Amino acid sequence: MSDATAIVLTGGLVATACGLLGPFLVLRRQALLSDAVSHAVLPGIVLVFVCFGSRAPLAVIAGAAAFAVVCVLGIEALRASGLVKADAAIALVFPVLFAIGVIGVGSFASGAHIDLDSTIYGEIAFTPFRTWEPAGVEVPRSIPLLGAVALADAALLAALWKELKVSTFDPEFARVNGFSPRLVSRLLLIAVAVTAVTAFESVGAILVVTLLIVPAATAYLLTERLPALIALTLAIGWLCAVAGHATATALDASIAGAMGLVAGCCFALALLLSPRHGLLAVAAARARRRAALRRRLGAPAAGRR
Amino acid sequence: MGRLIDALPLDYTDSVVLVGAVLIGVSSGVLGAFAVFRERSLVGDAIAHATLPGVCLAFLVAGAKDAATLAVGAGLAGLTAAALIVAVERTGRIRPDAAIGVVLSAFFSLGVVLLTYLGNYGSANQAGLDNYLFGQAAGLLERDLEAMGALCLASLAAVALAFRPLKATLFDRRFAGSVGLPVAALELAMTALLVVAIMIGVRTVGAILMVAMLIVPAVVARQLTDRLSTLLPVAGLVGAAVGAVGALLSESAALPTGPVIVVTGFAAALAAILLAPGRGVAWRARQALRDRRRAATEGVLLDLETALHAGPPPTAEELALGGGRPAREVRRALRDLDRAGMLERDGDRIRLSESGAAAAHALLARRRLWAAWLEHGGRLRLPDAREPDPSDLRGSLGDAAADELERLAAAGGEW
Amino acid sequence: MSEPAVRRPALEIRRLTASYRSRPALWDVDATFPAGALAAVVGPNGAGKSTLLKAVVGLVRADAGQVLIEGRPARAALDRVAYVPQRDAVDWDFPIRVAEVVEMGRYRSVGWLRRVPRADRAIVAEALERVGMTPFARRQIGELSGGQRQRVFIARALAQRAPLMLLDEPFAGVDARTEASLLDLLAELAREGTTIVVVHHDIGVVRARFEWALLLNVRTIACGPVAAALAPDALRRAYGIGGEAVEEAMPWAG
Repeated sequence: MSDATAIVLTGGLVATACGLLGPFLVLRRQALLSDAVSHAVLPGIVLVFVCFGSRAPLAVIAGAAAFAVVCVLGIEALRASGLVKADAAIALVFPVLFAIGVIGVGSFASGAHIDLDSTIYGEIAFTPFRTWEPAGVEVPRSIPLLGAVALADAALLAALWKELKVSTFDPEFARVNGFSPRLVSRLLLIAVAVTAVTAFESVGAILVVTLLIVPAATAYLLTERLPALIALTLAIGWLCAVAGHATATALDASIAGAMGLVAGCCFALALLLSPRHGLLAVAAARARRRAALRRRLGAPAAGRR
Repeated sequence: MGRLIDALPLDYTDSVVLVGAVLIGVSSGVLGAFAVFRERSLVGDAIAHATLPGVCLAFLVAGAKDAATLAVGAGLAGLTAAALIVAVERTGRIRPDAAIGVVLSAFFSLGVVLLTYLGNYGSANQAGLDNYLFGQAAGLLERDLEAMGALCLASLAAVALAFRPLKATLFDRRFAGSVGLPVAALELAMTALLVVAIMIGVRTVGAILMVAMLIVPAVVARQLTDRLSTLLPVAGLVGAAVGAVGALLSESAALPTGPVIVVTGFAAALAAILLAPGRGVAWRARQALRDRRRAATEGVLLDLETALHAGPPPTAEELALGGGRPAREVRRALRDLDRAGMLERDGDRIRLSESGAAAAHALLARRRLWAAWLEHGGRLRLPDAREPDPSDLRGSLGDAAADELERLAAAGGEW
Repeated sequence: MSEPAVRRPALEIRRLTASYRSRPALWDVDATFPAGALAAVVGPNGAGKSTLLKAVVGLVRADAGQVLIEGRPARAALDRVAYVPQRDAVDWDFPIRVAEVVEMGRYRSVGWLRRVPRADRAIVAEALERVGMTPFARRQIGELSGGQRQRVFIARALAQRAPLMLLDEPFAGVDARTEASLLDLLAELAREGTTIVVVHHDIGVVRARFEWALLLNVRTIACGPVAAALAPDALRRAYGIGGEAVEEAMPWAG
């Protein structure tokens, strides 16, 4: 497998895993919870390192997921107090968790392998060099890991499809009919946390957050149907992976950053050109309405025959 | 500034960091309050992340690396990001949280690309990005403090001058517009102030934690006061205190400054939310518990009175069954009544004592008054817009109104 | 009307007390709704009508009292109730079609994780047909008018196939033609044996079209056949206004 293929595949798999969950975050107005959760998991990673002295993937994921739940519960609790609005609650909880993580890294883990760079900034360029060798075949380890996560996300989506639909569309109805919206929400956010943590090591937190939000928001501008929304999000995600890698190679710049930039450009294009919601379409529709109104007002006798 | 630093009983670097932390605390506390009340806390997060491409572009365009140029770049990028968020929201399809998320990610990705493009990989860039994300208190110079101080003073002066229009716009945007205030300009001003606060603090605290500095002081202040004119100074003070305590703690424990300040701030916010008198969670929980207990006690008292009229003195179990209340609640209510001397026990059968009977009658009278209010309240003439308190109608509406209600009820055959 | 032998009331409320933000919303409320009745809950603003329905389905916690559905505690019998709330919490921008919304009525019977079986599609289609929304099955919910949306939500309740239906102000914000046609549907359902309980603000309509009424103002003022429950004397007690003015005041008192 060439380096380029490994990198693009990794990016694509992250885009897949994120693209399965992202649309629901956007639909549930929880887009920024992904940002919060991505930062809040740092103390979990540190704790696992401190307790087990290694970065065994499963332990790290469990520790991170635990702190993701702490983050979400904390935000919910603050909001439920009635004294703090939802956005302020998010802005209070994730920084303190992240701060605890940074302090932990500095105190216990500095000089060891858990450098902040790879956790937050990430370095997808190194993917080809971090390999496993199952049965003598060298494979970049990010690919089976991310592949497994993407499959798990797909399974979650398939299993909870109707639960996600009903708890997002009409949470009161969901509650009365035995589908706890809070449980569904927490399951979704745990999935986001697990996906994010697995991907951090390969691509860094910012690209993960970008791929969770931006392709889904872009697709939301282009379609009214839920299955199409998911499909389009995945497609745009893969486009970011491929085009991002090409751009980064051409500019000799950060690959993860380039992938994120491509995502931003896709969004901007969709915002302008979307046939239903795009700025041009909306402006054109308004112009047409005004012209029609002018015509009607300008010929008042025409209506009477 | 130099004199201030010399006056502090700490060594030079620590003093600089302390003064810096206080300046950041004050500016982000006061200026961040506007973001909190407009429910735009996370816009601060986006702007903080957006300053990265601004700094890189400034360097690219101007070729210089001095603080002023970079600050201008950061500021412009921040303003652009804020403007774009509003523009994206205006299309109607993308909600505020997604708009913030998109702008945040896109700008930061651009920043990362520029950073790596500018220098290609190398530890220098890694370090640069690290400092930007996590802050670097140690790099503060006296010169920086002077710039921060000047910006802080200027922005606070601006707030003081434009206080009343800002307050009107915050409270009710549409009304402010209808009375001729330049709402769009004022909101732009509030955003600009937010950008200034971020510019002051982001180098020290880091892009990720900056948002906490903006939010914590306002949240604490909100629990302590209702009026904006008091709230802003309190937020400033809280910010300064949190900054100072955090800086001191981090210095004594040899921990990174930014994170320690944030943890201190969160502790302050949590304390305020839990313990604020009259509003805090602990206070309200205690109040709710007391209300529930009182409601149960009164209910059981009346159930007992009814049961005694209807037949032989009941046992606790019979009381619970008849009233439809959970048995545990009934038992607790009976204990409370017993302690207040309102019960007489006869084996496991319960009766009301004299004081208990009197209390029951008084309670019944209050309830009848409330029922009379429900039925005849529409006909009552009240001297002002007072509202009834169900547990004390006479007290809340006044004797005149209560007497009138009794008269109406008697006339309607209620008594 | 024939007198059935001992027939359990579809819904029975005993001494229900509930508070909302430490104010009494419902206080010692007693009410009975016989099976197959077309019933209304009326009363002034703040009377606790919505709270009553919410307490039945468990969205609001009662301080005291009992709710019995077909003789069983409500908590254990929620599958026998279809609740159509006021449409506040719904996300109208969600990308979902009319048919999918109605299909949600089958979710409870299917339970977690499983798919709605093909056989249930007939139930969904039938529900859509009864409310007249079959041509709109594939439209996005966000594109519909208020009246059309309400039809969809009633279809969803129909798809639940529950013997008791609770509707909270279903005709608020709905055009007159839709209201008339939906009332006809509800009356037909009642004739078929479903117990319908509707919170309604218009006493005139209730008098004309409903059989049973609960007059509520934090406490029960009256509960029974409409003519008796909505007698002028009872109305006066509920709405607390001078006797003669009661009838004229009705339109704005609700």
